[in-house]
Amino acid sequence: MTSFLTDLFSNFWVSLAGKLLIVALMIPLVGMVIGFAEMKLSAKMQARVGPYFAGGRWGWAQLIADGVKFFQKEDLIPAEADRPVFKLAPVLVLVSTVALLVVIPFGPDLIFRDLSVGVFFALAISSLSTIGILMAGWSSANKYSLMGGLRAAGQLIAYELPLVLAVVGAVILAETMSMAGIVEAQVSAGYPFVIFQFVGFAVFMIAALAELTRIPFDMPIAESELVMGYLTEYSGFRFLFFFLAEFANMFTLSAIAVTLFLGGWWLPGIPDDVLAYAGPLILVAKTFLLVFIMIWFRWTFPRFREDQLQSLAWKVLVPLALANIAITAVFKVVLG
Amino acid sequence: MVLDQDLVRHLSESSVSVELETEDMTLNIGPQHPSTHGVLRLVARVDGERAFDVQPVIGYMHRGYEKLAEVRSYPQITTLVNRIDWVSGYANEVPFIVAAEKLLEIEVPERAQYIRLILTEMARISSHLVFMASYPLELGAPTPLFFALRERERVLDLLEGVTGGRFHPNFNRIGGVKPAYGSGSSTRKVIQDLPAGFLAETRDAMDKVTVAVDEINSLVAGNEIILARTKGVGVLPPEVAASYGVSGPNLRASGVGFDLRKVEDYLPYHLFDFEVPVGENGDCWDRWHVRLLEIRQSVRIIQQAIDGIPSGPLQAKVPKVIKVPKGETYVRAENPKGEMGYYLVSNGAQGPYRLKIRSASFSNISILPWILEGVLIPDIIAIMGSLDFVLGDVDR
Amino acid sequence: MTSSPSETETTVHPLQEFADAVAGAVGGEAKIAFDTVKVRVAPEQWVSTLTTARDELGLVFFSFLSAVDWSAEVEVGDPPGDEVEERFELLAAVGDLGAGRRVIFTTDLAKDSPVIPSVVDVFPGANWHEREAHEMFGIEFVGHPNLANLYLPDSFMGNPLRKSYPLLSREVKPWPGNVDVEPMPGGDEETTEGPSEENPEA
Repeated sequence: MTSFLTDLFSNFWVSLAGKLLIVALMIPLVGMVIGFAEMKLSAKMQARVGPYFAGGRWGWAQLIADGVKFFQKEDLIPAEADRPVFKLAPVLVLVSTVALLVVIPFGPDLIFRDLSVGVFFALAISSLSTIGILMAGWSSANKYSLMGGLRAAGQLIAYELPLVLAVVGAVILAETMSMAGIVEAQVSAGYPFVIFQFVGFAVFMIAALAELTRIPFDMPIAESELVMGYLTEYSGFRFLFFFLAEFANMFTLSAIAVTLFLGGWWLPGIPDDVLAYAGPLILVAKTFLLVFIMIWFRWTFPRFREDQLQSLAWKVLVPLALANIAITAVFKVVLG
Repeated sequence: MVLDQDLVRHLSESSVSVELETEDMTLNIGPQHPSTHGVLRLVARVDGERAFDVQPVIGYMHRGYEKLAEVRSYPQITTLVNRIDWVSGYANEVPFIVAAEKLLEIEVPERAQYIRLILTEMARISSHLVFMASYPLELGAPTPLFFALRERERVLDLLEGVTGGRFHPNFNRIGGVKPAYGSGSSTRKVIQDLPAGFLAETRDAMDKVTVAVDEINSLVAGNEIILARTKGVGVLPPEVAASYGVSGPNLRASGVGFDLRKVEDYLPYHLFDFEVPVGENGDCWDRWHVRLLEIRQSVRIIQQAIDGIPSGPLQAKVPKVIKVPKGETYVRAENPKGEMGYYLVSNGAQGPYRLKIRSASFSNISILPWILEGVLIPDIIAIMGSLDFVLGDVDR
Repeated sequence: MTSSPSETETTVHPLQEFADAVAGAVGGEAKIAFDTVKVRVAPEQWVSTLTTARDELGLVFFSFLSAVDWSAEVEVGDPPGDEVEERFELLAAVGDLGAGRRVIFTTDLAKDSPVIPSVVDVFPGANWHEREAHEMFGIEFVGHPNLANLYLPDSFMGNPLRKSYPLLSREVKPWPGNVDVEPMPGGDEETTEGPSEENPEA
């Protein structure tokens, strides 16, 4: 049986189909799990219970129920909206998230595609969502959406720079841009890069929060001001796409951070053959730790004002990241 | 940022009702909006993120109280009046009843005055807790909402236990307060007093409120983002505030230590020892901080009042049908939102000839065009929230 | 400053000195009733009165500006008992921010042509109050920058707070009388709440 499966999956097309299927399933699953975690954690922080009825006492079916609810809603498109752009925008945002999953190493040999420029690919693809958000804000034919979209454009472009610069330090230490290679470098070095790259890690996490437009950086949505910002006119399954994309993006950006800084699927002291199976679990556990921190921040902090946000990016994060690169490079050359 | 001509024309055709300028955009904030405390509409001309010429449009909730008051008798007006500032229900009734009592020249028994004072201070705590809940929400922090409202439930439960209503107590009667259990058929001859255990529970609740307020303070006051969003934002100089009629915590945050509880005699505040918190700069942060300190002072007053409450009747002897003699008077009180006053003109009938209601929020938000000049849009929300108004108070 | 002529007849109200000072400074007549100081001035002096109050008397806090419609015949409510002079009485309440003393300045406007200069330049807060008085009473404020309706829709006709303006709900259903509590359905009359000996205000 196993030899039959191995032969089957050695066929390129079959394995491609299998990989696509797994990726397609992962996104909603991850989205739902993290969404549920957010509901329950926020409830605990706010002296509430959270989802309680759907699925018995723990309410685990809440998000499934929400998903079904979104699907059966009427597809409302504002009369004045730019229809093709309006319909394409959520797809673009979701696609950029899905594409990120391709380069994350889940285990020693478990990666959908190990690109030699994995880091570069990941950062480039994640910035596609900026265009999607701008399209959403523009095409909604609504002043609030437009303002949200423009705010998003300014914010996301501003925070791309710290995001990219922050990872350069890890790349220098690993001497490769391939994601699997960076994890291998941490394994062979014996320590996760965060020990020396803590500045880079902090900058990356802050920039990731801003890329996700989560509080404290959710000016583009800014519920109490702009109703829902660029998302105002979206309802039904289009809104579900954005919703899922946000949670899945939390996962993927955290997974990238774990890969680059926290050692990926590796834990010291675990033998290699166990790691082949336990690797994905370790990666997911570390990722969820970072996701928990993101959720925690969201419910604790208020949001930055747009100009404060921009000055944080340009005046604080970019110089920090540049300094980090310079120091890392010097140390790498000196210490070899 | 200047928007393109064609884009602007496209937007004007696709949006509803508002005329568009060629260079900047007219943005309608409200009347349906998460942050406007009710149906308030702000018509703002914005240039990018900066707004100038913000005109509030009010009157969506105008209920015509002053006209209605002319066809009601005094006990009936009490029910009308506590719907003006519905967040602090009880505090609206007191100056009105005091005005009627002034014209009747009757003396309210001491116990009734103490009860009125305790309930007014509880209304103040309730109103300020709503502010503590909603203001961080407008800045983006959703969590203090739950903590503050949970504490407010304690106060509202107590209010309901005494008066029967959480928001609209309708508890004052001319000459005092309503005997707590009323008079049904079996207890017709008996005048009831406050519910048993009310005072002890109030004392207990006040302790818990103090703890909770400290918690909220540490959650909010130490947060750098909140400080960055509120310090230096929406500075209101005291001269401007006075000339516009801004009163209450908004005026005190600008540095003017003026509290009507210290200078007016509608309730026996002179018997109690409390401070009047005063801010320094008149920005949003000071308005937050003054209200937080006021909650603590209110707790202090309530505890002193509970300790010192005298026994006695709850209501003075008044005739069956009340006809207030001819006269005019203006009684004003320190409501949680500011100065609330009633100018009562009576002609000897069962109802007033003219009742002018001076509501605090009306004057407080008349300052919006001045204070929102040249301000960024997120700051509009921050400033409006810090003024703490309620549309029922604005529109009457 | 003044001492009472005879102790048994009148005692000096604590606010008398203040009221006389205000009346003297603005040139009006002061009246104290029920702890409220009212100073009546002529319409020509209206703006100068408020300016003096703000600048010289320290009454910088603007409380409210409104009007009372004195009419012998009323559409709603009870008519005034004795003869009243038909007029609009315009009120402006100002106070100080120290001891909390307050004055209500009043002036009388003719019913058929209620015109008075606006005091927006003296107290900017009067802006909205004057708009409200304009739409509610029909008083014309000369010099007001924007005398549009504040509360009422633009198409509203009439001035609601005038005594000649009817209350529509009373047209539809007449005044039911001073009934506080209706009888409980099916209960006997004895159990209804009503004023009793000990509990007059039930």
